[in-house]
Amino acid sequence: MLEVQDLAVSYRGIRALRGVSLNVAAGETVALIGPNGAGKSSLLNAISGLVAKAGGRVAFDGADITRASPWSVAARGLLQVPEGRQVFPGMSVQENLLLGTTALGARPATWGLDEVFAIFPILRERRAQLAGSLSGGQQQMLAIGRALMGGPRLLLLDEPSLGLAPLIVRQVFRALAGLKATGLTILLVEQNARQALAVSDRALVLEQGRIVRQGASADLAHDPAIIASYLGQDEAHAGGG
Amino acid sequence: MASLYNAWGPILDLYLLQLGFAFSQYLVLRAGVFSLATAALAAIGAYTAGILAVKHGVHPALGILAGTGMGTAAALVLSWPLARLRGVYQAIATLAFVQIVLSLNIWAEGLTGGAMGLMNIPRVVGTPGLLAAAVAVTYIIWAIGRTRIGRTFDVIRENEAVAVSLGVSVPRWQALAFALSGAIAGLFGALEAFHSYALDPNIFGFSFLIATLSYVVFGGRKSVLGPLVGTAVLILLPELARPLAENRVLVYGLLLILVINFLPRGVADTLLDAWHRRRLARRSAAAAEALR
Repeated sequence: MLEVQDLAVSYRGIRALRGVSLNVAAGETVALIGPNGAGKSSLLNAISGLVAKAGGRVAFDGADITRASPWSVAARGLLQVPEGRQVFPGMSVQENLLLGTTALGARPATWGLDEVFAIFPILRERRAQLAGSLSGGQQQMLAIGRALMGGPRLLLLDEPSLGLAPLIVRQVFRALAGLKATGLTILLVEQNARQALAVSDRALVLEQGRIVRQGASADLAHDPAIIASYLGQDEAHAGGG
Repeated sequence: MASLYNAWGPILDLYLLQLGFAFSQYLVLRAGVFSLATAALAAIGAYTAGILAVKHGVHPALGILAGTGMGTAAALVLSWPLARLRGVYQAIATLAFVQIVLSLNIWAEGLTGGAMGLMNIPRVVGTPGLLAAAVAVTYIIWAIGRTRIGRTFDVIRENEAVAVSLGVSVPRWQALAFALSGAIAGLFGALEAFHSYALDPNIFGFSFLIATLSYVVFGGRKSVLGPLVGTAVLILLPELARPLAENRVLVYGLLLILVINFLPRGVADTLLDAWHRRRLARRSAAAAEALR
């Protein structure tokens, strides 16, 4: 569904991505893990067109979107949930969700309010409340719900666990597992490697702008090198960022 | 009644005209464009209508239509380079545009009358005409605010990155805001021409720009009430305190400093928010009472 070939991104001469290639097939959940500054967010932003590409090619559903504007990429159903939640604090929960339908364009909706509320019941309770009054985890759920209202064919998630307490991180990931079960295709960027590997089918490890490892998530979770660098030995750190 | 109108009629007319310019300014700010071009767009509308009437004997109705059209066209052209700029750079670029229009106006003496101004414009627009235009524009802006267009403007203003991720083509929507703003500026510029007999390039200069911006900043940038209230207060205040009228710009400056510091969202928006919150608090108190 998504094909990325040899993608490069530079910020004023500093290379953030050095030729990254990856594929995401329909119905798959792929996780992208790696340390701070590895280029994970740059990769997502380059795919969605928010950041200019220095080289390479991106195709979505067979169509070349390398030079497409970010809004036209969104209109095709390649929807990104931006890092740091970014809900509209002065609007109600329901208004935020309805805003998501802007991305539909001429495509039919695949998620309605009721389906979103079924995945995130807390949003139904808070539907009339201002989004700014929600907790961080609830805002993250709202941001994901808003993207669902835009009928995503591929959902890009940028650090959904960022700044959340361990208990809330588990709630968010439980919801992601629910989304995956609906057959939604997901590309997930995450520093919380343990949770990311648990929810995904495949994973890629990005370091210094290059993919250094990839494989089935279950295999990577037992790989000694990955355990040493990203998971640690101690189960007690499970929720940490 | 007649004497009341004689005393307050000119101020009402002034209010209605300035309200139009305030709405033109309000629309671009609402869509997240920091443009100050309203003064220039109003000048283009006013001079289009004035020149057509004085030099070519065109019917005022057609002149007003042409002024509105020219304002729209100029705004659309301007929106194209402006889409590449953000924030204060947009303000600087549009400020330059205002100065360019002003200079051209003075330079093209044969066409515009230059610094001497354009005289003998038929005075065919009175209070009823201005009132009709102001009501129509207020209604249109209120209606836009309740549709997807208004919501999209709000989203772009509050968070452009998210707007883009929701599939909103920011340049296209801002061009729409610009075109509407230009149409309103052109329309009220043309009305001003047919209301005041003479035009002078300096009407649409820096103090016009500051006044228009003040109405919106003072009243508020979100609700339609903002420009309505801001324009009313800033026009009435110097009239009520006559000695201040000489120092209108000074009073505006002072009020702006006060509002920006203590009511940064503007008088109308702040009051509306407070009222909204009190209603919410009362409702949740009632709900808690019912649960008991």
